[in-house]
Amino acid sequence: MRTLSSLQQRKVVTESGDSLGRLYDLRGELTAQTLTVTGLVTGKRGLLEHFGVLPRSTSPIPWGDVVRIERKRIVVRDR
Amino acid sequence: MTQIDIALKVLDHQILDRDGRRCGNVDDLEIEGGPGETARVTAILVGPGVWPQRAGWIGRIASFVGGGRRVRVPWGEVREVESHVILRKSAEELGLGRGDDRLRPWIEKIPGAHR
Amino acid sequence: MSKIFGVALGILAAIGGFVDIGDLVFNVSAGATFGYQLMWVLPIGVIGIIVYSEMCGRVAAVSKKAVFDTVRERVGFSAGLGALIASEVVNLMTLAAELGGVAISLQLLCGLPYRWLLVLAVLGFAIVIWVMSFEWIERVFGYGGLCLLVFAVAAMKLSPDWGKLGNGFVPHVAQNNSLLYLYFVVGLLGAAMTPYEVYFYSSGGVEEEWTPKDIGLNRANAIIGYGLGGFFSVALMTTGAALFLGHGISPEHLGTIALGAQVPLGTIGLLLALVGILFAVGGASIDTVFSGAYNLAQFCGWEWGRYRTNANAPRFTLTWIVLLVLGMGIVMTGVDAVVLTEYAVIFSVVALPLTYIPILLVANDEQYMGRHRNGRLANVLGGVYLVVIMVVALSAIPLMILTNVGQN
Repeated sequence: MRTLSSLQQRKVVTESGDSLGRLYDLRGELTAQTLTVTGLVTGKRGLLEHFGVLPRSTSPIPWGDVVRIERKRIVVRDR
Repeated sequence: MTQIDIALKVLDHQILDRDGRRCGNVDDLEIEGGPGETARVTAILVGPGVWPQRAGWIGRIASFVGGGRRVRVPWGEVREVESHVILRKSAEELGLGRGDDRLRPWIEKIPGAHR
Repeated sequence: MSKIFGVALGILAAIGGFVDIGDLVFNVSAGATFGYQLMWVLPIGVIGIIVYSEMCGRVAAVSKKAVFDTVRERVGFSAGLGALIASEVVNLMTLAAELGGVAISLQLLCGLPYRWLLVLAVLGFAIVIWVMSFEWIERVFGYGGLCLLVFAVAAMKLSPDWGKLGNGFVPHVAQNNSLLYLYFVVGLLGAAMTPYEVYFYSSGGVEEEWTPKDIGLNRANAIIGYGLGGFFSVALMTTGAALFLGHGISPEHLGTIALGAQVPLGTIGLLLALVGILFAVGGASIDTVFSGAYNLAQFCGWEWGRYRTNANAPRFTLTWIVLLVLGMGIVMTGVDAVVLTEYAVIFSVVALPLTYIPILLVANDEQYMGRHRNGRLANVLGGVYLVVIMVVALSAIPLMILTNVGQN
């Protein structure tokens, strides 16, 4: 069991160690009964990108690509 | 079925109960499910007790001042997510808005409280 | 027809409500120290508050959210909490300054002891807020504030040097005393673009359940109301320039400011000035205390609003009561109201970006605003004022220190 806030700001890296930035947000699918997590929203350009001032540097990463969630980072499959 | 950015659209938003009463903000979201499984948002966490995990030591002070309570609202209680997060039941049934409920009898002692 | 009447009433209330203690202190002082040279700052301040208010009003109409709802959603909990704490501290300082101003004007009117009048005034405000409806509060204090028109009449009667006045609207920097000059630039802008006014305006919009259909009306209300209100600032600065400049009189007391109306117009001028000051600053006290309560309630997710009854928004109600008491407590310590005003205005300016930036972001956000997001004009103005606000916010405290809070 985790919280959304604890996942935010964690570094996101691929298995080979490439950095995909930090986790800003999670993409989700909302139905009448559920909210399923479908992807990670990350970015390398920091706050300005998070607030929509700069355009997005990475596209959402599907939740299925998540390999491991560590205490300080999230590891995803190589892209 | 809609795609949303969860932190943007849900986290920190105002919660309204089924009567439109304001009863807290979405202070955090509980997620169950890890890598390789389906991950779902299973609950909304509300209350000053949730603040330390959002804002470090300032959050802890604010939490202390605010009384430190936390309430877990299962996601199934959410009716819709619009500009605000709207619930199926009333605030009392879900344990929300207690601060207002406990203070109200005192305010009502003063004449003109229903103006 | 009655809609136009309603709009006219709203505008009148906005005009009368434009002036608060910060405007009184800084505009008259600016005139007394630099004559008409700082006139050019006033339109910049007025347009600034119009731009900021318009965005907040539009956000309120489209998303049904007031400033602190928006701030917390857009920048998150910890940044939002920082902005909240800063805003509440500044709000409380401003409240104390306004309450001090009310007590002083009451004392000048009736001569009774200052502290008793302060308690009476605070009790009076508490009762007014408790009992009266939102619209009536705004109307009474707004119309009463119109008595400040006496300063416009006084300014003309003082036969100001119209040439110099006109010249003052051309931006320039003074040769001597430039640090003090810049301090006044910052102070005048801070006095015009008061944050509590914006919090109050946007929360009022949510209370009154504005919809996108109300956007045009409220834009007009803001532009005309604040625009005309700006003339009061011009009149105040002119009075300071025509009467005090060169005589070494520095308006360190509200009484001196009221002299600006008494000298040309006699006792009736003095009376109108004091009544005008009382209502304008009193109305500002109420707006400020509401703002403080709105911000805290919105950030925490409590029920809020004067349109809810006192009993239906208990924590909101308790908050404004506590804020009134705290404000009164600060004034009771004997701190000088004018000095407190200067500090309040300067600190307001420093805190201004903390809420301006999130609002600018949200006003541009298509997901929040749909087709009502900022157009090109709004973004150009919004961007220009972002720069203005950042420059002013960063230079405010250094200037305050370097000029010894305007004493030089």
